Amino acid sequence: MYKVLIIGNPNVGKSTLFNSLTKSSEHTGNFHGVTVEEKRKIVFLNDEKIEFIDTPGLYSMNTFSFEEEVSKNLILKTNGTRLVLADANSLRRNLYLALQMKELNLDFKLLINNYDYFIKKGGNIDLNKLRIFNSEVEIIDAKHVCLFEKKSKKIFKNAKKTQKNYEFKLNFNDFQKKSSFFVQEYLIDFVKKVKLKYNLNDETIVRAFNGIFDNLSEEQIEFIKRFNKEIVSARYQYLDKVLNDSITTKKDYVYGASKWDKILLKPIFMFPAFLLFFFLSIYIIFFALGPLISDFLIFILDKLIMTPFLNLMYSISSNIWLIEFVKSGVFSSINTVLSFLPQVCLLFVFLTLLEDSGLIARLSFIMDDFLSFFGLNGKSIYIILMGLGCNTMSTAASRNADNKNLKIKTALINPYISCMARLPVYVIVASAFFGAKAYFVVVGLYLLGLMVALIMALILNKTILKNKSSNLLLEFPALRGVDVKHIYTVSKINAKDFISRVFGVVLSVGIIVWILTHTTFSFAYTEFVTDSILYFFADKLAFLFAPIGLNSAGIVTALIVGIMAKELIVSTLSISNNVASNTALIASLTAATSVVHFNMASAVSFLVFTLLYCPCISNLAVLKKEVGTFYMWFAIISQLTTAYLMSFIFYQGITKGIVYPIITIIVATIILLAIIYIIKKVKHPKCLTCNKCRK
Amino acid sequence: MSLFDVKLNTECVVKDIDSNDEKTSLRLMELGVIVGSKIIVKNKSSFKKTLLVFFNSTCFTIKDEIAKSILVNYV
Repeated sequence: MYKVLIIGNPNVGKSTLFNSLTKSSEHTGNFHGVTVEEKRKIVFLNDEKIEFIDTPGLYSMNTFSFEEEVSKNLILKTNGTRLVLADANSLRRNLYLALQMKELNLDFKLLINNYDYFIKKGGNIDLNKLRIFNSEVEIIDAKHVCLFEKKSKKIFKNAKKTQKNYEFKLNFNDFQKKSSFFVQEYLIDFVKKVKLKYNLNDETIVRAFNGIFDNLSEEQIEFIKRFNKEIVSARYQYLDKVLNDSITTKKDYVYGASKWDKILLKPIFMFPAFLLFFFLSIYIIFFALGPLISDFLIFILDKLIMTPFLNLMYSISSNIWLIEFVKSGVFSSINTVLSFLPQVCLLFVFLTLLEDSGLIARLSFIMDDFLSFFGLNGKSIYIILMGLGCNTMSTAASRNADNKNLKIKTALINPYISCMARLPVYVIVASAFFGAKAYFVVVGLYLLGLMVALIMALILNKTILKNKSSNLLLEFPALRGVDVKHIYTVSKINAKDFISRVFGVVLSVGIIVWILTHTTFSFAYTEFVTDSILYFFADKLAFLFAPIGLNSAGIVTALIVGIMAKELIVSTLSISNNVASNTALIASLTAATSVVHFNMASAVSFLVFTLLYCPCISNLAVLKKEVGTFYMWFAIISQLTTAYLMSFIFYQGITKGIVYPIITIIVATIILLAIIYIIKKVKHPKCLTCNKCRK
Repeated sequence: MSLFDVKLNTECVVKDIDSNDEKTSLRLMELGVIVGSKIIVKNKSSFKKTLLVFFNSTCFTIKDEIAKSILVNYV
C-alpha cells in the first residue's frame, strides 16, 4: 500500500489538508497542538490504495514532547511520500524542519499553504528560486485540495526525485580549527547513524552518552554548547540566503499580529469579554435556543417514531413486559439523551468560534500569569475549554504539555471541568428545584468545577507534581473570521459522536439497567423498581451516601451507572421513575411518591457529586494510557473523595447551617496538610547534605 | 541585558542565548532566535511574567524564564 505522510510545524493546516484529501472530518483548529496523535485513512485512487497519515506538528527533528516524538518516528520509519506543509507567512521557520530532513537524506515534497493571505499582506514568492532542495514545490489551499485533480495526482506520484542540486552541507571545518580539543565531525555523524539505525530518541542518546560527558571539562562543555548553536545558525544562514532571493514581504510584516491585539491583550477588556461570552453561551445553549430546538426534536421523534411504533406494538402484542421494555427501557433512554443533541451541537459551535478565531492563543497569553500560580501555564486554557466539551478528548490533549509533571497535572484536573455529558443532569435536576433560577445553578456548577480543578492543580503543584518552570513558548495564530462551513463540520462530527454514544453505550447500558431494575431475584418481571435486583444491591450501599443526603437506592443506582457514562444518569433516573419524557422526569423528581426524588439540599448535593466524581469509563481508560495505572487510581480516589467532601459541605450547609461546612473544611485542610507533610517526608527523607535538614 | 528587561516596542538584536537550560535554548534557536536576529517585545502580561514578542516574522508568547536567557542589545 502506498503511504502519504503529512508533516509540518504546528498550525500550518496539516489536518485541514488531511480532511480535504480524504474527505474526513478530523478536528482542526487555529491553535498550536490540536492534533496530538497520528490519524490514518485509506483512500482509493485509480484502484490503488493510498494511506494518508496526518501527524502532530513538530518544529524540529530534535523533539521536545511526546507528540513531536510520534511525528519524528513516522518521518523516519514511513516509506512513501512525505508532504511537508509550510505556511507561506512563516516560511523561514517552517523550512528549518525541511532542511533537517534533507540532512538525513529524506525525500519530501514541499507544499505551501495560506498563500492568499500572504499575498493579501503584500508578500510574494518566487517558486523557481525556492526549489532549494530540488524537491517539488507547490502552492496549495489546504481547505480546497481535491485528491482527484490533476495537480494532486502529480503531487503524490512524482514526489520521488533525486537531490542532485541540493547544495547545503553543514561545514564545521573553520569551527573545528578554532577548537582547542577533540570533537570531530564524525562523532556527530556517528550519533546520527546510531539514532537512525536503532530508532533512538534524543533522551536515549543523552543517557547512553551520559557517562562519557560526565567528565568533560568546563571548556569542553562550553564547546559542545557552542557547537549546537553553530549548527542551528548555519542552517538559518543558509535558509536566509535562499529566502532573501525568493521571498518579498512588506517591511515589518509579522504574521499573527493584529491591530485588534491592542484591545484583545488588555486583561481589563479580555476578562469581562470572555466571561460575558461564556455566560451568554451557557444561556443561549441551555436556556434559550437549545431547549427550543430540543422540544422540536422531541416532538418529531415522538410523533414520527415512538408513538406509531408503540401503537403498532399494542396492536400486535399483549406482552406487557415487552411493551414496557421498549417504552421505558429503549425509547426512554434514547429520548432523554437525544433531546440534548441540540445543546451539544451549540456548545461546540461556541467552542469552535473561540478556537477558530485565534482568540484562544490571546486568552493563553493573558491567563498565563494567573495559571502559573496554580502550576499550570497559558496553554492549559485550551485544555480547560476543550474539557467543557469532552473530558476524554481534553485528557488526551494534555500530552502536548511542555513537561511530564505538567502533563500529569493537567490530565488529573481535567475531569473536574464540567463536560457536556453532565449537562442533561444539571438542567433536569436544577429545573426541578430552582425553576427560573436554574441558569444560575448551572453557571455556579461550572464555576465550582473550575475552582476545584485549580485548587487541585495547586495542591498537586505543591506536593507530588512540582513544576520547575512552565516554559510557555506559544506561536500566535492570525485572527480569523467565522468559517461557517468549518463550524458546521465540527458540529456535525460531535453530533455524530454524541449519537453514536447514545446508540452505543447509553442504549446498551440503558437496556441492562432497565432489565436489572425490572427483574426480581426469581427472574420474574416487576413493574416496581423497589423489588428489583439492582435496587437490592444499591440499597445495601445507600447508607454510605446518608451523610450527603443521597441514601436512596435509586440515586445510588444512577450514580453507579454514571461511572460508565454521565449521559446514563438521566436515562437511569427516567427508568427508575418509569417516565418517558424530560418534563415528566422533572415533575417526578420533586414528588415524594417517586422511586427517585430529592429535596432542595439533596438535589444540590447530587448535582455537586455528579460534577466532581469520575466522568466516565472512557476517561479513565485514556488517563491510564496517558499517565499510567498509578495516577489513574490516584484520579479515581481523589475524585470520589473530593465529590463526597464537597457534597457533604453543601448538604450539611443547607440542612444544618454554616457551622458544619466550616468544621468539615478545617478537618479536611488538616488532613490534607498532614498528607502533604507525609508525602514531602517520603520524597525527601532527613539528610545531612541539604541546608534545610542541617537546620 | 536580557529580553526580559527590554522596553516595549523597541527593536533589539540577539547577542547570545544563555545555555544554562540546554533544552529551551536549543528550541529557541531552532525557532529562529539566533545571534543577530531581530526581536521586539510587543506586550507584557499584567504581572509581566509573560511576554509577547515578534521575531522571525511571527508572533510568540514566551515566559520570563526563557526571556531572561535571551541576551540582547538595542539596535
